[in-house]
Amino acid sequence: MAEKIVDALGEACPVPLIKAQNAIKEMNVGDILILQIDHSCAMKNVPEWARKEGHNVEIEEVDDGEWEIIIEKVK
Amino acid sequence: MDIRKNEFYKKWFKNAWTYVVGAILLSVFQIITLAVTGNPWGVSGVLANWGAWLYQAVGGSVDKWYYFSSEGAQKTLEAGFWNHGGSMRNLGIIFGALLATLFASQFKIKKIKSKKQVLAAVLGGLLMGYGARIGFGCNIGALYSGIASLSLSGWVFALFLFLGAMVGSKLLVKFFM
Repeated sequence: MAEKIVDALGEACPVPLIKAQNAIKEMNVGDILILQIDHSCAMKNVPEWARKEGHNVEIEEVDDGEWEIIIEKVK
Repeated sequence: MDIRKNEFYKKWFKNAWTYVVGAILLSVFQIITLAVTGNPWGVSGVLANWGAWLYQAVGGSVDKWYYFSSEGAQKTLEAGFWNHGGSMRNLGIIFGALLATLFASQFKIKKIKSKKQVLAAVLGGLLMGYGARIGFGCNIGALYSGIASLSLSGWVFALFLFLGAMVGSKLLVKFFM
């Protein structure tokens, strides 16, 4: 099970979402994607998309205005 | 008690409000704005005045500029920043947004990632500012207030806003991904 960190800090919508979509495409089932963001809108649209795709999603607030979205590729 | 664990704090200050709540609040503010000032809500027209005041502050003059040639525009400029309702409203929006991120403890000064980002932001800002002036409004004054006033122009603005967003997102993917 591989773990991939994608840095989307300082990027505004929809760049974090597209980065997450591109990263997930190249990953295997069971792999974990950690998307680093500091744009609060991405906290809404990235998990929304990932859950709709059926992946497992967790959000962690790592600092003031900074989050990690952890996505486990399920299928 | 830890305020971060308080239900009401989370609901009101920490978590983002839903789109529906936002839409209702914007509608209420639009009604209040129209009722109190007699004009629908606008944002970017105010920024043109800010530009004029800044230009005057460094010794420039906009008296001969066509955009500011009307009597009303001259009066507004003469009365100054602190007597301009629209300027106060824009200040309120800026400080309100700052307050909201501070209450949620989500304030962060973001890193600039690349020169490309700066160039795109400057170009985008110039295009939006110029477009908003020759289009007689931005997405608040022309789109939102236009449609709310049952004006066809608001819908025309919406159509071209949509087309512009499509082109913009293609460019964004091409240059930033």
